[in-house]
Amino acid sequence: MSSRQRVDHQPAFVLHAYPYSETSLLVEAYTRAHGRLPLVAKGARRQGSALRGALLAFQPLTFAWSGRGEVRTLVRCDWQGGHPLPRGQALLCGFYLNELLLRLLPREDPHELLFDHYAQAVARLAAGAASAPVLRAFERRLLQELGYAVALERDAASGAAIEPDGTYRYEPERGPIPVLPGAAGGDPLLLKGRVLLALARDDYADAATAAAARDLMRALIDHRLDRQTLHSRTVFRALQDL
Amino acid sequence: MKPVNAVDELIEALRCLPGVGPKSAQRMAFHLLQHDPAGAQRLGAALARALASVRRCARCNTFTEEEVCALCASPKRDPSALCIVETPADLATMEQTMAYRGHYFVLMGRLSPLDGVGPHEIGLDRLLARATDGAVKEVVLATNFTNEGEATAHYIGEMLRDRGLRITRIARGIPVGGELEYVDAGTLAQAFYERRPA
Repeated sequence: MSSRQRVDHQPAFVLHAYPYSETSLLVEAYTRAHGRLPLVAKGARRQGSALRGALLAFQPLTFAWSGRGEVRTLVRCDWQGGHPLPRGQALLCGFYLNELLLRLLPREDPHELLFDHYAQAVARLAAGAASAPVLRAFERRLLQELGYAVALERDAASGAAIEPDGTYRYEPERGPIPVLPGAAGGDPLLLKGRVLLALARDDYADAATAAAARDLMRALIDHRLDRQTLHSRTVFRALQDL
Repeated sequence: MKPVNAVDELIEALRCLPGVGPKSAQRMAFHLLQHDPAGAQRLGAALARALASVRRCARCNTFTEEEVCALCASPKRDPSALCIVETPADLATMEQTMAYRGHYFVLMGRLSPLDGVGPHEIGLDRLLARATDGAVKEVVLATNFTNEGEATAHYIGEMLRDRGLRITRIARGIPVGGELEYVDAGTLAQAFYERRPA
């Protein structure tokens, strides 16, 4: 890919942007066919630059870039639109999605289905959808695309269907293993079968099940993060503690 | 590279300024030494004085030499309004509008979850104490219309909710005198989503 000189009209999102030299931005771009890659947007921080308002996270864009090497140069950015920018809590959920991609998705590793799923998740958050189903579905899709599919319907020991009232221990590298009920609580990886089935159906009507599903996904993601903390999670928690 | 003599050290020191690379730093250093030693003297003295005397205003958090800045101490300002801005530069721009006569609180930053900047890093507890001092009736959220500025405004709005304050957010949309034909699509779209009854 790095041998190609110019790429045109790529569906893309900005995941994050950092100031770069006096007037430019270094954009962490997430593109459909080329995955995540860094692009320099020259002059994007100049007053009156057309890029200034366009290079925001959470709005569908198309990018054209050129150059070899690790950091390519953004030559064109077109706003695509389709939904308002997320606000309030939806915005914080958006930061969380972006942080997951920045931490877990290797650079220049395209996953077109994951890109489409991300675009859909951002649109649903912006439209004011309940955040739990959007976040859980994206977490599952992300892990699956990275090669760590979350098994939810069959236990990993015998292949038997998950029983709603059965107790399971989720082994990150294997899947759910049936265990004797009544084992110690407080472990997010120890849960009832109905939590797994709720995740499989994206059904979070029951608050206790929704919380257990969230804790399981958090534990599975933490397992892949290798002890890095997610800043967006910390800010989100501080907001909820108000 | 470690500076070896006074000239190199001066060049290296000037590079801490934004937008000053090695070439500009060298030009500045030679200019000061060769053509303007008096100016260099003034620059050095002014820097030392500012560093020794400038601190944060106890009420609004902006830069001042006093315990409380001139704006916060002024009897002409309306004590019932508190406008929240990200930086002293934003405060100065807001003042130029002459539209606002209340007080300010300068955050000196914004929430930026992806950079690890959370509520504790920008001292929101000080803002909470300032906004709930009894005199403030309206809090105007004038953080930037970036995602980080919006997240900051949301967070402060939630923090001050249910405290008997009126919380407002400055409006965004088409610039004054703007013609739709020449406005960028993103701005126009957002102006449409946030349209109000006329």
